[in-house]
Amino acid sequence: MSTERIVVGLEIGTSKVCAVVASLRREGEIKILGVGQAPSRGVRKSEIVDFETASKCVREALVDAEEKSDVEIRGVFLAVSGGHIKSFNNRGIVTIPEDRGEIYEEDFEDVQAAAREVTIPPENSFLLSLVQHYYVDGQDGVLNPVGMMGRKLEADFHIIHGVSTRIKNSLRCLAELDIEVEDVVFSPVAAAQVVFDQAQKNLGGLMIDMGGGTTGYVLYADGAMKRSGCLSVGGDHITNDISLGLRIPMARAERLKVEEGSVAIHEVLPGEMILLKDETGFAGREIERAMLNNIVHCRVRETLELVRKDIGDDRLIDFLGAGVFLTGGGSLMHGMDGLVQEIFGHPVQLTHKPTVSGVTSAFDDPQLSTAIGLTKYAHATQEQKPEGWLKRLLPRIRLFGR
Amino acid sequence: MLELFRNASDPVAIRIVGVGGAGGNVVDRIQLDGLPGVETAVLNTDSQALGASVAQRKLQIGEGVTRGLGAGGDPELGYQAVEESVEEVRELLAGAGVVFLCTGLGGGTGSGAGPMVAHCAKEHGAFVVVFATLPFSFEGKRRQMQAQEALDAIRERADLVVCFENDRMGGDVGTAVQEAFAAVDRLISRSVRSVAALVRRPGLIRAGVQELRTVLRGRDARCLFGFGSATGPNRAHEALEMALKSPLMERGKVLSGTFDVLVNVSGGPDLALREVEVLMNELNRHIEDHTRVHFSLATDSALGADLEVVIIGAAGQEPVRHSSAAQTLPAVAAPAVPAREPAPHPPRNSEDALSEPMPPAQFAADEPVAPSDSAEEIRRRAREEREARLAAARNRTGGGSRKEAKQEQMQFEPLARGRFEKSEPTVVDGQDLDVPTFLRRKV
Repeated sequence: MSTERIVVGLEIGTSKVCAVVASLRREGEIKILGVGQAPSRGVRKSEIVDFETASKCVREALVDAEEKSDVEIRGVFLAVSGGHIKSFNNRGIVTIPEDRGEIYEEDFEDVQAAAREVTIPPENSFLLSLVQHYYVDGQDGVLNPVGMMGRKLEADFHIIHGVSTRIKNSLRCLAELDIEVEDVVFSPVAAAQVVFDQAQKNLGGLMIDMGGGTTGYVLYADGAMKRSGCLSVGGDHITNDISLGLRIPMARAERLKVEEGSVAIHEVLPGEMILLKDETGFAGREIERAMLNNIVHCRVRETLELVRKDIGDDRLIDFLGAGVFLTGGGSLMHGMDGLVQEIFGHPVQLTHKPTVSGVTSAFDDPQLSTAIGLTKYAHATQEQKPEGWLKRLLPRIRLFGR
Repeated sequence: MLELFRNASDPVAIRIVGVGGAGGNVVDRIQLDGLPGVETAVLNTDSQALGASVAQRKLQIGEGVTRGLGAGGDPELGYQAVEESVEEVRELLAGAGVVFLCTGLGGGTGSGAGPMVAHCAKEHGAFVVVFATLPFSFEGKRRQMQAQEALDAIRERADLVVCFENDRMGGDVGTAVQEAFAAVDRLISRSVRSVAALVRRPGLIRAGVQELRTVLRGRDARCLFGFGSATGPNRAHEALEMALKSPLMERGKVLSGTFDVLVNVSGGPDLALREVEVLMNELNRHIEDHTRVHFSLATDSALGADLEVVIIGAAGQEPVRHSSAAQTLPAVAAPAVPAREPAPHPPRNSEDALSEPMPPAQFAADEPVAPSDSAEEIRRRAREEREARLAAARNRTGGGSRKEAKQEQMQFEPLARGRFEKSEPTVVDGQDLDVPTFLRRKV
């Protein structure tokens, strides 16, 4: 068993809390042992607004996962998200001492520290900084500069930061359940691990994760993460829009969205109606399909346009070799691929990626991609740097003040 | 008619007078920041401080009493000094329509001379607005007491008192002393400018002196002042954020305890209604349902692409509305006051009677000053009249016929946000994304 390690990915989402228990094998294989889920309450826009209720939901999900996987959960990899999380790219430069001339591993830390010497708001803290590229004495395309001779080491970093107190809210939630948080990962980054394989990262790809409360995205180009971000608009907003637009209760609107929701406004036949049935099965009122689709379409289009605007650099989008990947509950919406293709101009893939063994049906569900991605993330971080200096490299928010 | 007054060539002549060291600093600040169309003056017993001032006019008071050495924290000395120089003070204040008096209470000159200067200004028939600061609590009980006494005296004479507590303005614990004092001056300077703008700037929706007075009523009222200004696509959101971050606002928390809040939004000609909507929706989350929002809106091409928000409220307001009105009416010498009582108008409810917007032009000096005894008489009558009207209004509402005309108060009902009603808004490019897209885009 020494070659196996159990990791748990936990996502406290707006619509559901889900915990994925997986065992990591040395051969790079991840086996999913079980998935625990619980409907989420007390979370809005991916951030906890009702602490006690949210704690309860987390407990439910963890208990569910323990039962299904027959594993006692002690520590988790936690996904965090929310509109407050921001990212940017920055380059760090260090000069190698004259008498040495060779690049050591310590220099990585220095170069990272240099890259982080930018002003982020005082209430924020770093979530992640990921190396994009190294340059040694201006030479491009260095993959691993350790042992190389050089005077100057430069590295481009993608840095993600967020408001500390808000991140700590989720951490406290787990601290109360006496569960250790091994690492905190920005949700879209985690989801990207399951969505992309290395080849796609090299080709360049954009992942859009439409969750319940937020829409996250990650853009890879040349094998490195170039952009990531999160917009506080998600499936909840669609439901809310439907509820307000058609004047039906939230719960009914949610069901209507899941069953009938579509962003395809051109497929509707004129005068097509949807019959709303009430709980007892009796016919309720009728609504126009065109109206429903219009409401949904407006919201989704706006959200995608905002994502595109957030990415900012049109060249990055133009050169996506692998195209656009859609995941999250929102990707189940009918007609999404067409709309995304229209906005981003790339072929769209909905994510069902069977690169893991075990309970594969779980992977058919894009709603789980973040939680599964966490286990892959855990795996990737383990694999790359087995000695654990990565623990120092990957900044971890020091959690509860035990 | 109000607009006619405002557009006339001679706007209300505003004179900003600083009394004592603290007042002088504020006036210097205002002078340095530049506020077009006002005259600035300082009065002080301390000739050294006076020499360093950059105000347009300077007046040394009480040369005989203090020999230019300052009042040394003794209000009695300050009072004697102003007594001695009362003629010069009168001359200095002559011809001003509105006098903004800035002073720091608790010391000698401010506490001693302040009330007298206010009195002189009132004699000239000017509308007197006093910006007073209360001392830091570490300055001792004695100074606090002196300050409170002086404040009471000033309240009797001034039309409007905007009172700041130094304790709450100085910024964080770590702030350097000099920085803390400068911050206080800046804040007061800012509020003087805002009030001046409120009085002068033509508004699309106006709130003026009367609203200010409603907001700042009450003996223990301490001003909550927030100012924010921003440019760019998200300016409404950012300006409000900044206003709420002002030191007196405590991130908007204090607003929940107020009964009246005055909000002024001003921007360049491109100010969009949507921005105002976003801003007010956001602000509404910080205030209680029962709080009345006195909203004013102005466009000023001088602002360019800036959007400015000013929030004025008071901690320690009194919930009862009409008693306070009587209280703020000056009790000692109030020649110009009765003229302000609006001419008999159709019966309205009590609130309307008080928040009737008042053109400052009405208090301008061109109005003859009534002799004070007859003024007393008129005022009494006016009060009785209003009392009767209030009673009538109460009876009417009691009788069940709720037909009274509502005054034009813009109530920004949060635009349909549904389940996101209570959550933090997501504002991107000035649009509140929680509001359904189809509503915003009017599809």
